[in-house]
Amino acid sequence: MRAERSTIVFYIMGYIVISVLTLLCLLPFWLIISGSLSAEDDIIRDGFQLVPQHFSFDAYKAVFSNPMQIFKAYEVTIGLTLAGTALGLFFTSMAGYVLSRKDFKYRDKLAFFIYFTTLFSGGLIPWYIMIVNYLNWKDSYMALLVPSLLSAWNIILMKNFMKSIPDSIVESAKIDGAGEFTIYRRLILPLSTPGLATIGLFLGLAYWNDWFSANIFITTESKYPLQFLLYKILASAAVLKTNIAGNLGADFKAPAETLKMAVAIVVTGPIIFLYPFVQRYFVKGLTIGAVKG
Amino acid sequence: MRVFFNELVKNKVLFLMILPALLFFIVFSYIPMVGIYYAFTNFSFDGGLFGSPFVGLQNFKFLFESGALYNLTKNTVLYNLAFIFVGNILQLVCAVFLSEMAGKYFKKATQSIMFLPFFISFVLIGAFVYNLFNFETGAVNTLLRELGLQPYDFYLHTAPWKYIIVFFNVWKGLGYGTVIYLAAIMGISDEYHEAAKIDGANIFKRIRYITLPLLRPTFILLILLSLGGILKGQFDLFWQIVGNNGMLYDATDIIDTYVYRSLAINFDIGMGTAAGLFQSFFGFVLVVTVNWIVRKVQKDYALF
Amino acid sequence: MKKRLFKLLSICMTVAMLTAMLSACGGSGGSGSGSSEEGKGTDSSSKETAATTDDGKPDTSKKVVLNWYLLGDAHADTPKVVAEWNKMLEQDLNTTVKLNFTTWNDWQTKYNLLLASGEKVDMLFASSWADFFKYSKQGAFLDLTELLPKYAPDTWKEVPEQDWKDVSVGGKILAVPSTYPEYTPDGLVYREDWREELNVPEITDLDSIEKYLEAVKTVKKVTPIKGKAWNEVNTLFHSYYDFKNIGGDSGVIVAKSYDTPRDVVAYPFTTEFEEWAKRMKTWADKGFWTSNTLSIQQESGDFIKTGTGAVYWRNAPGASGFISDIEKNYKQIKKMGYFPFTRFHNYAVPNLGINNGMAIPKNSENPERSLMVLEKLRNDPKYYNLMTYGIEGENYTLDDKGEITSPPEGKDPKKGYSIASWGWRYSKNDHPSSSRWAGEDELIAEFKAESKPEIFSPILMDYQPVKSQLAAVNQVYQQFGMPLMMGLVPDVDKAIENYRNKLKAAGVDEVLAYVQKEVNAYADEKGLK
Repeated sequence: MRAERSTIVFYIMGYIVISVLTLLCLLPFWLIISGSLSAEDDIIRDGFQLVPQHFSFDAYKAVFSNPMQIFKAYEVTIGLTLAGTALGLFFTSMAGYVLSRKDFKYRDKLAFFIYFTTLFSGGLIPWYIMIVNYLNWKDSYMALLVPSLLSAWNIILMKNFMKSIPDSIVESAKIDGAGEFTIYRRLILPLSTPGLATIGLFLGLAYWNDWFSANIFITTESKYPLQFLLYKILASAAVLKTNIAGNLGADFKAPAETLKMAVAIVVTGPIIFLYPFVQRYFVKGLTIGAVKG
Repeated sequence: MRVFFNELVKNKVLFLMILPALLFFIVFSYIPMVGIYYAFTNFSFDGGLFGSPFVGLQNFKFLFESGALYNLTKNTVLYNLAFIFVGNILQLVCAVFLSEMAGKYFKKATQSIMFLPFFISFVLIGAFVYNLFNFETGAVNTLLRELGLQPYDFYLHTAPWKYIIVFFNVWKGLGYGTVIYLAAIMGISDEYHEAAKIDGANIFKRIRYITLPLLRPTFILLILLSLGGILKGQFDLFWQIVGNNGMLYDATDIIDTYVYRSLAINFDIGMGTAAGLFQSFFGFVLVVTVNWIVRKVQKDYALF
Repeated sequence: MKKRLFKLLSICMTVAMLTAMLSACGGSGGSGSGSSEEGKGTDSSSKETAATTDDGKPDTSKKVVLNWYLLGDAHADTPKVVAEWNKMLEQDLNTTVKLNFTTWNDWQTKYNLLLASGEKVDMLFASSWADFFKYSKQGAFLDLTELLPKYAPDTWKEVPEQDWKDVSVGGKILAVPSTYPEYTPDGLVYREDWREELNVPEITDLDSIEKYLEAVKTVKKVTPIKGKAWNEVNTLFHSYYDFKNIGGDSGVIVAKSYDTPRDVVAYPFTTEFEEWAKRMKTWADKGFWTSNTLSIQQESGDFIKTGTGAVYWRNAPGASGFISDIEKNYKQIKKMGYFPFTRFHNYAVPNLGINNGMAIPKNSENPERSLMVLEKLRNDPKYYNLMTYGIEGENYTLDDKGEITSPPEGKDPKKGYSIASWGWRYSKNDHPSSSRWAGEDELIAEFKAESKPEIFSPILMDYQPVKSQLAAVNQVYQQFGMPLMMGLVPDVDKAIENYRNKLKAAGVDEVLAYVQKEVNAYADEKGLK
């Protein structure tokens, strides 16, 4: 097929825009990689450099100073991420599907009920009291898993993705005698793969990046997820540097510079492995026509 | 009530399917909302939430009395509008290009790279900004000096900072938002494009008349979703870039940084909650209003 | 089949969620008052049950697990140390302790959560700089007055009377302060080798500081305070004019000098501040610090280490730690100096005991046993050394001069044990470090010789009647006061006028009146001038 002129123009524009944006995203990351491999003093003196003046693996050595602990933390994080993403996706997609059904009478009210939670919140303390005093999840994996399972954002996005599925599909399946859950599982889920992949990605990222719940709920070291462990490594590096033991003022400063960057690199791991996997589902053709045919 | 029960019986499976989500929000959002009451009390550990003395609206006073509220609200709203619109439009453009372009590896690689800034902490963003713009050794001023131009002291002028802050916020969220639009594009049936191609429509026309209209609900939805948080700011972004630099506050101060400064020395649960409640209430009114308008125009696009 | 499975699953889910919810609802009905009553209930009941045995010693027949929280982070060897500790505790007191840490970054959040949620915490690190007085006023801690003589008799006897008074709020003793008289005045660390090389006079006053900074900037071409210079300038200002912070607060309200505690002013309205702001403007213009100094998060000490900075604010013990680090790890720096700001007015003030201490939160289930553990920890050198310095031979060695080497010679530097052990610090059992900066002993002697009692920190204020004005004033102070202090404004006179107007509008007069009233009451009580 001969490419039209307009298509060529479009491609040129596309390549330029995308390439420029990609460069803008890549350059800082390159600087961080270079920084993480630099000597601490070089970074403090001269700031970011494209190529390290003196190569140093000190920052990575600090991150991996206790390999068994890091290994264990990876295990915890991977487990949480997998379980959280799977369960979260299940409940999110069910809720999103119900809200997307135009014949469901209370869908607007329920959508409002869910969205309202993003507007008002009682703050950290009552939420903490609920989880610790009533659910008794202090120092339990449940506190890391359950409170992040669902978010109003994800449910409403899911609903939006599913809205583009024609009602006729549901109608005809109903006539064939399929139950609601069967319709959801057999028809809706396969048709929503890009949406599911997106929400799954977001859930996965949220679980992977979550250090805050561990920070307030987990007190046993062997239960630390990766992000929280790294966060602690950064914090204690800062304390070591201030010689806090001899200094009883409350002046705590930011962590050692190169360590910050090494940690940034270590946590970026999942996107390099996870994202291409998710991208498999961003393919056209998994659409209505394919199923009908 | 009877209508409700009829509905419940008729759609019991649908109700069951959404029940876990509803319970989740009751347990983790609605019940903890009792904490909003903190905003009206003078908190003490002796009394706890309900035993502390009720003080009415006294905790809100610090927001209103200073006279800074108007400027703060304006700054916060304008920043958020810029974040929302610039961000969404750029994400949409990227998604459209990426979905139409050939070159499997180019697409995959660029998509992944665009996601990288999402992982860069605000602390590191603060370090970048410093390395770029500081007067003595910053990259921009070094360049200006080498070109024989007058160096510019960014940290003494308010003008450039709105652009810097908007840039870094949009940059950080680019990959994340693009994915949403990409997924929405993937939901568009190929049939439409095929039919248009047969009719001789070129790629610009197809995007203009097929892709964009079909993305409109998603675009409106994302805007609506963001509007609720219009008074809530990205505290870390502003804090790491601007810090304690009062010289820049006219252009960079938002409610969150203001409240932080007000309470940093003498933290007060009641006043902190009060500030949050003010932000929530504003967002609530805005979303309900805008949603109502959207509903009038096109029922399908409304959030609820 | 699958359908049935789903039904079963959803029913299980529903039931589980419902029960969780109902129990939550039931509880939250009277949540606040309920939990605090629970707390009180356990207090009184545990007091009754904790009977003494015949020989007058507290009964420890029941095995107890305590929940302790320390500020900051654990050391890599902490689990080993705590295991050892628990072995000893189990034998001596039939008790074990779960030792938790708050981490450094978010300890404020965690303190609020722990105390507000009513978790059963039996001991918590407490300190004047960790909001001890605020939490006390809000009723977060247990009254120890009656428990102390019985369960911690040695501590009760050995802590000085004055220190007990300092931790009493409303007649109740709410913490066990550390017993470690210490001076932590502010001061400047500087490069003595550069000063000699540049041939500028020794640092003895503000003019000599200025000469040094100027020489560094013009001859060495180094920005002297390259990181955030706020602490350097702000503490210099207060010390130079002898403006004293009241009640530990770092806002705009100060006493005009040590000798006139009742003379309370908002310093931005003084001529001293005008003079200072003008002088700082010349300093900033000369480039003693950078124009982004208020945005940057980096400590100026980092730049000294890389040869791109020349001055760093530290309190005296902090300076000692910083200099000994440089002497050990940065050999290219020949000599460091330290100028404590006490030399402006020739007196030093020791810290309050509660600069570090331990407190028991209201909801503790076993305050008696917890106090007994603390008693051991403070007074028994075996306990003290283990929990403060780690495991002997592994983390530290003790020489016959009584000095600690940590880590032991030839061990990995990471073995040097340190946690926030200051809460039980007791000078009787404490050991100085063998690698401390040589100038430290001399400094301490100097401070001791010119010591005057601390009279400003114990003035307790919760600002309740003026808290919204205080918030507004603090905000104005940060927005307009900080740039002025750093000389970053284009026109000092205009900026001062604007700053004063904003402070007035924010209600600084009401805050001042409140502080004045509290100070007068305090001064009357203590019989101060």
